[in-house]
Amino acid sequence: MSLLPLLIIVPFTFIILALFIHNVKIKNALSLVLGLANLALAFYILISVNNAEIIKTQMGSWPAPFGITLVADRFSAFMISISAIVFLSVTIYSIQSIDKERLKNNYFLFTYGILMGVNGSFIAGDIFNLYVWFEVMLMSSFILISFGGEKAQLEGSIKYLILNLISSFFFVAGIGILYGKMGSLNLADLALKFSQIGDFPSLFEPSLILLFVGFAIKGALFPFFFWLPASYHTPPPAVSALFAGLLTKVGIYSLIRIYTLFLHHYDYFWNPIILWMGILSMVIGVITATSQFDFRKILSFHIISQVGYVVIGLAFYTISGLAAAIFFLGHNMLSKTNTFLVAGWVHREKGTLNLKDLGDMFNKHTLWGILFFISAFSLAGLPPLSGFAGKYLIIKAGIENNQVFVAMVALFVGLFTLFSMTKIWIEVFWKNTKNEKGNNEQKIKSNGLPYKYMITGSIILALSIIVMGVGAKPIVEFCETAATDLLNYQKYINFVLG
Amino acid sequence: MELILAIFIGILYAGGVYLVLRRSIVKVILGIFVLANATNLIIFLAGGIKRSGEAFIAEGTESVDLATISDPLPQALILTAIVISLGIAAYILALKYKYFEVTETHDLDQLSKTDQK
Repeated sequence: MSLLPLLIIVPFTFIILALFIHNVKIKNALSLVLGLANLALAFYILISVNNAEIIKTQMGSWPAPFGITLVADRFSAFMISISAIVFLSVTIYSIQSIDKERLKNNYFLFTYGILMGVNGSFIAGDIFNLYVWFEVMLMSSFILISFGGEKAQLEGSIKYLILNLISSFFFVAGIGILYGKMGSLNLADLALKFSQIGDFPSLFEPSLILLFVGFAIKGALFPFFFWLPASYHTPPPAVSALFAGLLTKVGIYSLIRIYTLFLHHYDYFWNPIILWMGILSMVIGVITATSQFDFRKILSFHIISQVGYVVIGLAFYTISGLAAAIFFLGHNMLSKTNTFLVAGWVHREKGTLNLKDLGDMFNKHTLWGILFFISAFSLAGLPPLSGFAGKYLIIKAGIENNQVFVAMVALFVGLFTLFSMTKIWIEVFWKNTKNEKGNNEQKIKSNGLPYKYMITGSIILALSIIVMGVGAKPIVEFCETAATDLLNYQKYINFVLG
Repeated sequence: MELILAIFIGILYAGGVYLVLRRSIVKVILGIFVLANATNLIIFLAGGIKRSGEAFIAEGTESVDLATISDPLPQALILTAIVISLGIAAYILALKYKYFEVTETHDLDQLSKTDQK
């Protein structure tokens, strides 16, 4: 009996309990405790997966192709652990950052809904089950993004909601057609059936295209990313930090999962598409970010650019490429969330996130400045932070794969990322707020609100970034084994069906 | 029967896409509902349509002739998908109501307030 169902039961327990508890303080304490429990559970699963290679649970004890399978290999366990770290720090941060009204109205219930959906997607071994977990995650995120009902939020949530619903329709239509063709929904069984087909009748197999487009919209890849920068800067900062850390990554996780299980049989068709979508996401995301002057909007465009890195790692489809993609996903979840957390603090302090109105934050709060420095320059890829290892691995994989052009583009994009991060750094933390008329100072004076919990959440993430950068070797080795497992999809099939 | 249903799904998709591209938010939401139902019908169609009995193995027998039963799984999938789209429909209508209360507009072009000029 493995502990996999607990990953879903723990968040669900909170959701049930939160309905009965009315005291905000008890609710906050409970959310912390269960966040810690989820983290402990995630690391326990990481360790047991590292020993046993793959673990699975058949729900209701029905054997594999018939019952619903929950399965965790090294890749899933890695993603679960990183998302548990992100979730815990955002929870600690939210206790102080989110206002009393929202906390009282069960803010944490919906963040736990997201956690349940995310954990469920990472361990789903059945494609329809994956869809259901996506919906759990999406419903919670719909509510969180419009929670509070401010005007800007409602605007952002309508855009977010409609485009994400359309991606769900793509996904579920793809599942329907796939089931009609293959007669199975279990991922391992599907992979087995695909490997037996050999030559496929048509390259433009509609179900695979529909699935791919669904995941590409969720993961904010190049032609499908427009919902992301239109909505991520509207909700409260803690919410956008949680979204930035978890949501798009689930889309990319699913893409990697179906690619390594069955899309790769038609790699002559899919590889160039995925590669070019990755390259264009990288370049366009980073270039659009340079023209923005809103702290969170710059970061939102960078999400698109970073997703591109992961996807080109996938498109190489070698051990080094996949290992780089997995490592980069983990690094990106930590660093991106932390930059959003710092943005949230700046917003709380100054009431605005427009770069032109901000400045001189470093002198006032050195520690927050250092936290931003760590996460932003980790995104830009400065050693010894985690981003350096991530980018190095991607570029190395590109050169090993004779894709020197792609490696050059990745380096070039890294330069632009550095430019954007330096821009935020200078405008927000470094620049002097000179007030020629003398009244500027009063307009945006510091609120001086307490931030003890907020900074704790941010420090946890910053420490994880440093650990992932300095102690990269064991983590990279783990990612390489995970990539080997992904490439050796026969093992997954045999284990799940056996 | 399959052909008729396929054409019908095509019409639903066309109508849904047309509605989603309209400027009024209410029409966009209606378009979402139409697309959701078209997608449910696709699953139904892909599962195969035939006039046949229930998918039960009769008492006392070991197996059942596959030609006489219809596949129950797509129907279960549609049931799940319908429930999900019902929940989303309720939420999206509530959101629209709140949005109208705050902004008093149905116009999608008014959604550019948070964009940077």
